[in-house]
Amino acid sequence: MKTLTRPYLVSLLLLLGALLLSVAVGSVFIPPATLFNLLLQGFSGHMPSTGESQSLATILFALRIPRTLLMALTGAALAGSGAAYQGLFRNPLADPYLIGVASGAGLGAVLAMSVRWPYSTLGLMAVPLAAFVGSVVTVFVVYELARVGRIVPTTNLILAGVAVSSFATAATSFLMINTTGELRRALVWILGGSTMSGWQPVLAMLPYVALGLGTLLTMGHALNVLQFGDEQAQQLGLPVPRMRLLIIVAASLTTAAAVSFTGVIGFVGLIIPHLVRLLWSSDYRHLLPLSLISGAAFLLAADVLARSLMAPQEIPVGIITALAGAPFFLWVLRRVKQQHLW
Amino acid sequence: MLEIRSLSVGYGERRVLHNLNLDLPSGQILGVIGPNGAGKSTLIRTLSGILTPQTGQVRVAGRALVQLSHAERARLIAVVPQATHLPPAFTAWETVLMGRTPYLNWLGQTSAHDEEIVRQAMLHTDTLELADRRVGELSGGEQQRLLLARALAQAAPLLLMDEPTAHLDLQYQFSLLDQIRDLVTEGKLAVLIVLHDLNLVARYADQVALLVKGKLRALGTPRQVLTPDLLSQAYHTPLEVLFLGHSGQPFVMPPVK
Amino acid sequence: MKRLTFLLTLLTTLSLLLGACAPAATPAPTATAAPSPTPITFSDGLKRTVSLSAIPARIISLAPSNTEILFAVGAGAQVIGRDEFSDVPADAKTLPSVGGSMGKYDLEKIASLKPDLVLAAEINTPEQVKALEDLKITVYYLSNPTDLPGMYANLVTVGKLTGHQPDAEKLVKSLKARVKAVEDKMAGVASQPKAFYELDATDPAKPWTTGPGTFMDQLIKMAGGENAAAKLNVAWGQISQEELLIQNPDVILLGDAAYGITADQVKQRPGWDKIKAVVDGNIQTFDDNLVSRPGPRLVDGLEILARLLHPELFK
Repeated sequence: MKTLTRPYLVSLLLLLGALLLSVAVGSVFIPPATLFNLLLQGFSGHMPSTGESQSLATILFALRIPRTLLMALTGAALAGSGAAYQGLFRNPLADPYLIGVASGAGLGAVLAMSVRWPYSTLGLMAVPLAAFVGSVVTVFVVYELARVGRIVPTTNLILAGVAVSSFATAATSFLMINTTGELRRALVWILGGSTMSGWQPVLAMLPYVALGLGTLLTMGHALNVLQFGDEQAQQLGLPVPRMRLLIIVAASLTTAAAVSFTGVIGFVGLIIPHLVRLLWSSDYRHLLPLSLISGAAFLLAADVLARSLMAPQEIPVGIITALAGAPFFLWVLRRVKQQHLW
Repeated sequence: MLEIRSLSVGYGERRVLHNLNLDLPSGQILGVIGPNGAGKSTLIRTLSGILTPQTGQVRVAGRALVQLSHAERARLIAVVPQATHLPPAFTAWETVLMGRTPYLNWLGQTSAHDEEIVRQAMLHTDTLELADRRVGELSGGEQQRLLLARALAQAAPLLLMDEPTAHLDLQYQFSLLDQIRDLVTEGKLAVLIVLHDLNLVARYADQVALLVKGKLRALGTPRQVLTPDLLSQAYHTPLEVLFLGHSGQPFVMPPVK
Repeated sequence: MKRLTFLLTLLTTLSLLLGACAPAATPAPTATAAPSPTPITFSDGLKRTVSLSAIPARIISLAPSNTEILFAVGAGAQVIGRDEFSDVPADAKTLPSVGGSMGKYDLEKIASLKPDLVLAAEINTPEQVKALEDLKITVYYLSNPTDLPGMYANLVTVGKLTGHQPDAEKLVKSLKARVKAVEDKMAGVASQPKAFYELDATDPAKPWTTGPGTFMDQLIKMAGGENAAAKLNVAWGQISQEELLIQNPDVILLGDAAYGITADQVKQRPGWDKIKAVVDGNIQTFDDNLVSRPGPRLVDGLEILARLLHPELFK
């Protein structure tokens, strides 16, 4: 394995910068010195209990830091699973939503929104939970539709994914139109961004994203071998059906967890892996961790923009990534192809 | 090395190979010929573990094929496919290194020993100077030699080759087959090679198997199998055979006008 | 595979439990003032218990209807922040905005204003209420009323919350009187003109309108009219042009006039020229905010409707 220190250094530095930026920027200005002090106090366990410091501390520890972590986790989840999907499907246009995670989550979320849940901890988790279940069920349906015996051909997966996604999206639109009261709420959720504040979404998402990404990080070598096609990979000794299933499950779980709490944020999973290929490596053992780190940094930056561009108005971050992503993506893909990286 | 007994393979209801029997010892090249649809590729896919035999037995180095794990099988059987759609981003070195997969752990960590084997494999196939070039920039011939190097890196005693000369210029066809010939004579390799070009088979194979519609129509030396009767029947066109050189190597061609 | 399923089940359970043990999840915050007289407790629209130990002096409104109600019951001086869309009364526009477009509010801004009461409405999501609670802010969620008595009750509630109960009750009394005046006028009315209320006609073949269950539907009836969309089976829905022609309304009320829709445009819509209202030229503009914001101006809307439907009674 080629030792690459520079890319890791650079991407980790970018991530650190993005984390600091996200914590420092908000509609309430916290002077850098105060910010630094508060952070120290917070991490040493001595939170200020009165006065101006207290409300700044509240803003910092109850709003900004959890949101920063939420966005970082989401960016990592989307970019990591995007890279895995691109490797699995051997298709540069693959993104984490290819086999129905987003459409399933949307359907689940909107279904949950049409019910008046009691105002309780579980009631407040109803929407993300329903979104998660919706995702998982959709991927399962797509997988079963695509399966032929023990084998799950890639083309079948893509076709089934497209078909089931269209159906789910249509059902979601129908629901949205029929419950006009929740229309805006559903739209805001789907456009992507944090709809839940505080530590709850971060803690709930963490185990899934950690497990999913952790699993994917061990699949780097397998993904490399899979680039030669299922037949050659199997001939080289890789237990292909098992590996593909593991990758699909891990990537889908990760994406489902992210989407359930932050809606459908596009382009992160699509562009970041290509950027990493362009800049640093196509070896999945490096591509995956580097995408993860870069994805987190990227989404944090986009979220800072979403919060500051039209303050006090907050733009759903999915809109920012789409606006920035679409033109950029075409350029990136062209460069990737020119340099024989795909 | 390779023992096939009563092998039948199919896709569901459709049977493609019927009751095949053949033996391939180490140090020999077996050329498999036959018209399209005869089941030649199916044979390779079955031997490499992609398809499961419906009936019959296959033994490699004394072990039953169906009882081997994926990794064990890949240590015994290496496949050289046609060089199409290779991932362009990997370097030649990385591509050949893939051949070590059956010996690596799930993280893909390689040792100095692995790297030495890769180096030797590339040396034997004249591809070492391409090591740091990206596969996407290489020619068809170079890519094909790379795939041979990859198969050699697998250090497997049985090599299966599916039309490896299909997209190669004439000089590369000969040089590739010459290299295989050398490897077979010096190592303890057994090679099963599917070839379209009957004259290449005549030149390089020790044994020839003629497959027609999934059945083994003939098995023997090139002189025994490449006869006008057998070939004309198999290919549904009149064919003549000449004998060239002091070895009397068969040469197949349509009747002279 | 089995191990994977087991792991997943374990994970789901763990994360659900984790979510349940999240910090700061108490739904009953109290004001952080010094020892105080017995707090008054309320139960709000989300069935939460809300305690106030003093009359709130720093109120933020998250919906235009709430802003109107707050000012109407006399608590205007206590309001220190409002959502982007609050524009009535004019004084409200000078207050700092805390967001609200695209469904998102600036939580940091709200926190920095240090409110002692945030008045939320049904356009706010439970997640937003929870977010404010986590910031130790007192929130009262005012549910939408479904009829006028419900609206009166909301006025009184807000009055109680803000220390203006007598003013609120006086307001309710005067509103009731005005409504009664209209109803009395309509008592002896001979005919009930059919009104079509247009919310959006971007597709003139299927315009959006208010059906049964909306305030507009109720007010039309109370103003001595009949809703052309009375047979719609949803509250807000589309009516087909054919159905509209069959209904043949006597008057068309343009709720989308604020978006630039004029009577002339309506006349030019293909097929609409056969509608009685168009033939008679009885196409009126109407301020949709009067009926879409569930506050005291509903009564203003009723009075205007009465005039539009029965001009002969107001000569």
